Amino acid sequence: MIFIYLLSGLFLGWSLGANDTGNIFGAAVETRMLKFKKAALIASIFITLGAVLEGAGPSGTLGRLGSVDALGGAFTVALAAAITITVIVRLRIPVSTSQTIVGAIIGWNYFSGRLTDYGSLVTIASSWVVAFVLSAAIAALLFYLVKPWVNRSKTHLLEQDLMIRYALIVVGAFGAYSLGANNIANVVGVFVPVSPFKDISLGGFYTISGIQQLYLMGALSIVVGIYTYSHKVMRTVGKDLFHLSPITALVALLAEAIVLFLFASRGLYNLLLSLGLPTIPLVPVSSTQVIVGAVVGIGLAKGGKNIRYNILARISLAWVAAPVIAFLISYTALFIIQNVFEQTVQQETSYIFDRISITKIDRDGFNTNALATVNGRSFLTEQAIYRELKDQAGLSRKDITRVISLAEIHLMQVDVPKLIGSGMHRGFSDAELDVLSSLQDVSYRHKWQLKEALARHPEFEIYLNPETEIQKNHNRIVEGKLQTLYRSFKTE
Amino acid sequence: MALLLKTTRFVESQIDTFLDIVSDSATTFQLAVEDYLAGRIEQFEERLAQIREFEHRADDLRVSIERFLYERTLIPENRGDVLAILENTDEVIDNIKDSLLQFSIEMPQIPEELDDLWMQTTRASVAAVEQLVFAVRSFFRDLSAVNNYIHKVYFFEREADHIGERLRRQIFGMEIELSRKSQLRFFAIHIEKISDAAQNVCDRLSIYTIKRQL
Repeated sequence: MIFIYLLSGLFLGWSLGANDTGNIFGAAVETRMLKFKKAALIASIFITLGAVLEGAGPSGTLGRLGSVDALGGAFTVALAAAITITVIVRLRIPVSTSQTIVGAIIGWNYFSGRLTDYGSLVTIASSWVVAFVLSAAIAALLFYLVKPWVNRSKTHLLEQDLMIRYALIVVGAFGAYSLGANNIANVVGVFVPVSPFKDISLGGFYTISGIQQLYLMGALSIVVGIYTYSHKVMRTVGKDLFHLSPITALVALLAEAIVLFLFASRGLYNLLLSLGLPTIPLVPVSSTQVIVGAVVGIGLAKGGKNIRYNILARISLAWVAAPVIAFLISYTALFIIQNVFEQTVQQETSYIFDRISITKIDRDGFNTNALATVNGRSFLTEQAIYRELKDQAGLSRKDITRVISLAEIHLMQVDVPKLIGSGMHRGFSDAELDVLSSLQDVSYRHKWQLKEALARHPEFEIYLNPETEIQKNHNRIVEGKLQTLYRSFKTE
Repeated sequence: MALLLKTTRFVESQIDTFLDIVSDSATTFQLAVEDYLAGRIEQFEERLAQIREFEHRADDLRVSIERFLYERTLIPENRGDVLAILENTDEVIDNIKDSLLQFSIEMPQIPEELDDLWMQTTRASVAAVEQLVFAVRSFFRDLSAVNNYIHKVYFFEREADHIGERLRRQIFGMEIELSRKSQLRFFAIHIEKISDAAQNVCDRLSIYTIKRQL
């Protein structure tokens, strides 16, 4: 059954393979610098490597936006996104996979009565703008660097051609790797919280985690997309939309690969963090926006005369339309899947404002007078609580989100053998597992109760008022581990 | 990829050989005209035979380059331009051969007082072709230098036209039969046409250079 659910994720992977590979190799194939078969092979290998080795970062951010907590929901969200992409791609417009999946996830949030985390949404949405602008800036800069080299080069035209071919392969591979790392979250990200895969040990040398297997499946579906449909999309991207020469194609591709990598690499993130430099959020950005940004950057560097603004406007319109369409399809499909096919698209959750939770809310410094209308009541959806509290003075949307998370009932029992059995213990140190073992069989009603119990131990300590990026990152890592524990220890 | 590198180097050497032949043809043409004016007809015929051979080799090379560029999809963005350059440059050799062939067939009697202007026109046309060869070589190896050579081609083409005009005026000012005047004019124009052909290549070359520049 679970694999049937996964099919929609694989459909989404296929559409990403068809759509986004064109963004990387479209110009190279259309300028006939690379044969399609060679481009497809390189893309397949490096997208798979990127997805499996570095896909975890952006998935985490997507998970925070909306944690689709039932397989049926994940299936529908992925299906809605895949349908949207396929429809728009058939209209010969390159679509943003990232935006589409975000639209579909918000559709799930609305359907299931969850509050959308505006913080994560703003991070993701602003990263799209930043990625577009950054890509344009990097492409323009690279163009200025390459221009004198090309114009004053004493290399024979034929040798220059050969060098560009080699460079397109290397940079294309880098771009494909970055795309895999950055965009696999779009394909199977919604399945991460409900992943059915167990760890596989390869002769005791290397263990492929359940999540990596999920990414591998996603990557394989992308590969199928590349081989079956991307050739047509490459033609659209490489020829119809903007004519690039091999050198400008290389510049655009390099800019795209750099930007995708910046937004996907956990290694780079940690390096910037350790150097005390500002970090780049690990979010799935749109390879379509990034390549269009790069082309616009080159166009502007060339004086801005050769940009086809009407086509740019059409693409931009699709960027706005795609998440809206995905939202609507997702919402409608969830309704149909739940009511017609009687599938669970969300976990039943309840929220209670009893003495325990009100005391905790008070202790966390929130104004409990504003909670008079909900005191002693229980709710089934976040939206219902929000409607009650939104007009209360002294509570912002962020405060309400926090209050809701404190009132959420999430029955759990610490079960370390279960954690190990599911393979989710990877990512926990021995010391952390010892702390968990000391709480074996203890039950909790709220997530914050487990968090408080663990926070007493230095291994799970959280900075209450994080100031530096390092402290914030520490909190993010601990929160990530807690999320794993909440899911693993959940009891019916 | 190793095969591609080998092919690239091979095609490069073929293009270089092709341009060497164009340059040699121009120099041989000048020597042939000198021989003709000095009455060394046997030597002139040898030079014509040489140029015929050059023309064949240039044709073969051009076809071979064309085949490699298309079969191995080399320089896909520029191959059309490169082939146009080679084909048009090949026409310069054709013009040179045609001109000498006409001399060989018609054996025109050129009055001695025309020798100097005749040679000046020839030298200007040959110089235009030599500068063209530099321009084409630069198109492949040093884009920034192309325009300098193109400028020189235009200069020598104008020079050839200018001297050619003086030559024709002198021909028609002479006390000889009109039919002979007409024949000599035909030969004078033939020599000027060589520099015109070089200029035609340059017209294309300057556009292709802009296309290649970023």
